[in-house]
Amino acid sequence: MLSLAWILFVAQLVAGPPSRAAEGADALDRMAIVGPGTYRPLFPTSPAEREIAVPAFRLDRMPVTNADYLAFVNRHPEWRRDRVAALFADEHYLDRWQAPDALGPAVDPEQPVVDVSWFAARAYCAARGLRLPTEAQWELAAAASATKADASGDAAWKAMLLELETRPMPAKLPRVGQTPPNYWGVRDLHGLVWEWVLDFDAAALAAGDGSDVLQFCGASARASGDKTDFVAFQRFALRSALRARYTTHDLGFRCAGPGPGGTS
Amino acid sequence: VSARAAAMRLGLALASATAIACGHGTGGADAEPPPPAAVANAPSLYALHPALLDADGRSIGLDVFRGHPVIVSMFYGSCPSACPLLVSNVARVDAELPAEVRAQTRVLLVSFDAVHDTPAALQAVAAAHHLDPARWTLAAAGDDDARELAAALGISYHALPGGGFAHTSVITALDREGRPVARAEGPAADLVPIARALERAAH
Repeated sequence: MLSLAWILFVAQLVAGPPSRAAEGADALDRMAIVGPGTYRPLFPTSPAEREIAVPAFRLDRMPVTNADYLAFVNRHPEWRRDRVAALFADEHYLDRWQAPDALGPAVDPEQPVVDVSWFAARAYCAARGLRLPTEAQWELAAAASATKADASGDAAWKAMLLELETRPMPAKLPRVGQTPPNYWGVRDLHGLVWEWVLDFDAAALAAGDGSDVLQFCGASARASGDKTDFVAFQRFALRSALRARYTTHDLGFRCAGPGPGGTS
Repeated sequence: VSARAAAMRLGLALASATAIACGHGTGGADAEPPPPAAVANAPSLYALHPALLDADGRSIGLDVFRGHPVIVSMFYGSCPSACPLLVSNVARVDAELPAEVRAQTRVLLVSFDAVHDTPAALQAVAAAHHLDPARWTLAAAGDDDARELAAALGISYHALPGGGFAHTSVITALDREGRPVARAEGPAADLVPIARALERAAH
């Protein structure tokens, strides 16, 4: 017994949200094509997901900046820190800005925006007709060095990442775009800020069956993802500790969209 | 660069991840300390506006039961074991409420599987559990809306490549304005705080 309403409802789901006229014309100069590729999660949600095929997708070349986010807040005042619903962001949302609609002298417009919740990051990307990258998409992009699409086997690259992540935090957050582009032409995936992903909470499900629990808790050598990748483990741990309304001084985001084939 | 600050802000992220991974996975984080039953000053869920389609094929809002104490949870209809247990748990809390509290209380179960949970499929779930249609509403939300509602409720779900979902089981009690006042996570969670919160919300 299919009601017409249900058919329309599902048709709408399949078609996706009506494409909003892109607020910032997202030409390819702002976004890069990443993939296709294969993502190997540290802790797969199910045995069938030890290797996840990731179709090509578009990804912002750089994290969203304070200037970008201020323009969004000005167009969508319901996301001002003095108006946002408490459900969508904790009390530290945008709290480094001088005012709800002004960055002030201490905040550089070209720094990555931080102190934003998952809800806020999603809303920003939706306003551009985009979404947050999935964990698989983000990790695929982040696995590339300057010269290799998959640098996971490159010891020098991994040592450099570890050094980057354990370096003392500078007093002032650097601007975006100061690090060299990786293989895909994407910058700042490492060493600047942590970034939200759409399914950040998937980490909480990452022990879906008994074998995976054993694999992790028993420190089995059965490889699924690279357990020696400390930086990736840090990201996993961070994501598993997040809640959607949390904000922190070192957590930003970037947006993703469908690839050339229309898949995301 | 930012690792230490994040770790300090977020507490024992590493330990927490370990606890979850060594716990019961889809069954909820049993190895974690239980979350506080009452969420102090939690903001109203009714700031969310997901598009829901109920078992009668009607479009409804999340605040369809505004003005009532509400039990809300998420599930999917073709779920083999965890969801029937979830529905049974909610039904048990509901059945054990004092009659005058039960008369005011409403139940909203939202499926994150809109493609399979058609109105007819939702009706079949309601019939299988003998749910009172006057006080129980089953509905489905599309992936984008479902993900946002799940995030607000602290529910994790993940579509599995072979079909079905991995997900956590969380039951939340809302007051008359949609503010979460109690939360129970995991299939074996203590449901007494849910019942007490509903009684307070009803009076």
